[in-house]
Amino acid sequence: MNDSEYDPDVTIDSRDATCPGPLMDLIGKVKEAEPGTVIELQTSDSGSKSDVPEWLDEAGHDLLDTVDNGDYWSLFVRTN
Amino acid sequence: MSGYAIVLASRELSRVQAVSTIASVAAASDVPVQVFATMDGLLPFEKETVESGDFDVGPVGAKMLQADGAEMPLFHEQFAQAKAIGDIELYACEMAMDLLETDLDDYVEVFDGTLGVSGFLNRARDKQVVFV
Repeated sequence: MNDSEYDPDVTIDSRDATCPGPLMDLIGKVKEAEPGTVIELQTSDSGSKSDVPEWLDEAGHDLLDTVDNGDYWSLFVRTN
Repeated sequence: MSGYAIVLASRELSRVQAVSTIASVAAASDVPVQVFATMDGLLPFEKETVESGDFDVGPVGAKMLQADGAEMPLFHEQFAQAKAIGDIELYACEMAMDLLETDLDDYVEVFDGTLGVSGFLNRARDKQVVFV
């Protein structure tokens, strides 16, 4: 259970990985996902928290929500 | 412009890591990347150097080496990951290899082959060249 209204189809645990690990993990999943897939990316890297939305904006996918879980963030993404 | 052609001529770990980080994300984002490791830029790729961890480091490079490998994959692991999902090619400089009396077997397995200057320039023709 998470604090977001979104129920992810896929969860990527990239906690403890530094830049660009979380983003690379996300890109790999996005490439193999069907459009409309909701992905939760878990990261403890503050740089990735701000950099991932930049990539999503350029790549044309949606950032649905960012949830602060205390020691990590959950970024909810919908693929297009 | 159709991607980046990166000339890596430095052996300093943080520069090599910066190249692998930027090149990997670009390639994974479907931006073609060519990396041409030349001059001292070839040295960090030597198997012996990678295995020993005896890199040329500054303050940031030293911190990288102290980090857990799972948390911060080094440049050669980043390149390998990028090659699995993106359009990225790496070439080793023939001239530098001649001077060092090495062949591709002396380096970690990230290179697609060797190139001379003309080969690099041909592949870089439609790309933005970045010199590191």
